[in-house]
Amino acid sequence: MGYVFDPAAVLTGQYLDWFIWGLATTIALTVAAWLLGMTIGIILTLVRMLPFRSLEWLVAGYVEYHRNVPLLVQILVWYFGVPQLLPRAIRMWVNSHHSEFLLAMVALGLASAAYITEDLRSGIRSIPKTQYEAARSIGFNYLQAMSYVILPQALRIVIPPLINQTLLLFKNTSLAMAIGVGELTYRTREVDSYTFKTFEAFAVATVLYLAISFAIMALGSFADRRLKLEIR
Amino acid sequence: MRLFQVAAAGLLFLTGVVGAAKADELADVRARGKLICGTLGTAEPFSFQDPKTREIVGYDIDICRKVADSLGVALEIKPMAVEARIPELIQGRVDILAANLGWSKERALQIDYSYSYFVSEQKVLVSADSGIATLEQLSGKRVSALKGSSSEQGVRRVIPTAETVTFQDSSSAFLAVVQGKVDGFCASELILMKLRKQAQASAPMSIIEKSVFLEPWGLGVRKGEAAFKEQVNKVLADLDASGEAGKIFAKWFGPGTVYDMKQDFKIEEIKG
Repeated sequence: MGYVFDPAAVLTGQYLDWFIWGLATTIALTVAAWLLGMTIGIILTLVRMLPFRSLEWLVAGYVEYHRNVPLLVQILVWYFGVPQLLPRAIRMWVNSHHSEFLLAMVALGLASAAYITEDLRSGIRSIPKTQYEAARSIGFNYLQAMSYVILPQALRIVIPPLINQTLLLFKNTSLAMAIGVGELTYRTREVDSYTFKTFEAFAVATVLYLAISFAIMALGSFADRRLKLEIR
Repeated sequence: MRLFQVAAAGLLFLTGVVGAAKADELADVRARGKLICGTLGTAEPFSFQDPKTREIVGYDIDICRKVADSLGVALEIKPMAVEARIPELIQGRVDILAANLGWSKERALQIDYSYSYFVSEQKVLVSADSGIATLEQLSGKRVSALKGSSSEQGVRRVIPTAETVTFQDSSSAFLAVVQGKVDGFCASELILMKLRKQAQASAPMSIIEKSVFLEPWGLGVRKGEAAFKEQVNKVLADLDASGEAGKIFAKWFGPGTVYDMKQDFKIEEIKG
């Protein structure tokens, strides 16, 4: 008796529901962590450009921590470690209020911020320094020069590497499974454990991950085409 | 459209990989001169690394060895992750699984189970100061379990209003109870007894007396290998009859171990 490959068997009833919840959670986690990562990434980049050595070191330390400590460890630290540092009353509240999604989002967002700020920095460095000097000489202060002259160009240049970071972030959400976030990989393994139809469960997950990845890539190249500057 | 084609090609590839070996397992094993037994290797006292000899030992291993002995072949142990168990068996890279395989009707559609060689009592561990003493008090609460285990399914069945959260290993699931992230941890009584003992001083825990459910464990064999399965069942039945099964049980679970248990199950066919 050979083995029958039958993906339909894991796409019925409660298993279909689990896949849908899992996919929805994965997407929600990706979007939330992306927004957080982008915001902090931009702030870090701006801080890093300020003319204070100590701040630069601080950002460099932040980047090195998040790039060199395994992401899984960072997630576990946020889930099991950080809440223990809070005052007891807040800790009890956090622990009993489905903290896993929120803490996974924080861990993933902060880690991507480190990569995003590096990408942004390389984008900014690709804008000739003379443009900054010109902006300052016509009376813009630091923030104005950044937000009207440098960042609009730099952000466009870094769209391709940022798409890359987004894809990585999307795939990394699967690590949140370790702290019990019911995202796609978590649900896939749950389906596997119930049915023992391992190939089917993981095949469905693979197709779903691929589909979303392609969608992110399509969205990214659309944005890239629309926003590209005509360089004369 | 291209996306669809890529996905379809991927699925086809998988199908090709899956449609693997089929033959007379019993003859194959004899001809090869070795029985390959898939096991977890991280589940004390079923299969775990002996810190002194660095070899994988345990209750599961001893049972597998008896099967190998009966065929007059050597035993090879192959440790594997929980989610690799079924693919490894189906693709024929292992002959038999002794890997915490709890029986369920749906699981039994994919692989064949031998007679039960262990019955696991699934209980819930709670923090001693939580005031929870019965399973009913867990309704609406959060309960942790191990990924890939059937404890989670059991909790859903017995306490439908409880929410389950699964973790990769027992230490994470246990830590979640200690920190109050979940209210209980459902697992085999063996795991819970060990954890409670280890944490006695730092985090007193109690185990709810009533078990959530009883789960018979079997050895896993590929579907359609009737002769091989019969051989395995015969070995288990003989071990039971000769009292050897009881000795192996006592070696790992009996007096002198942390568990100090008596064997209170019979080796018999698993009936749903």
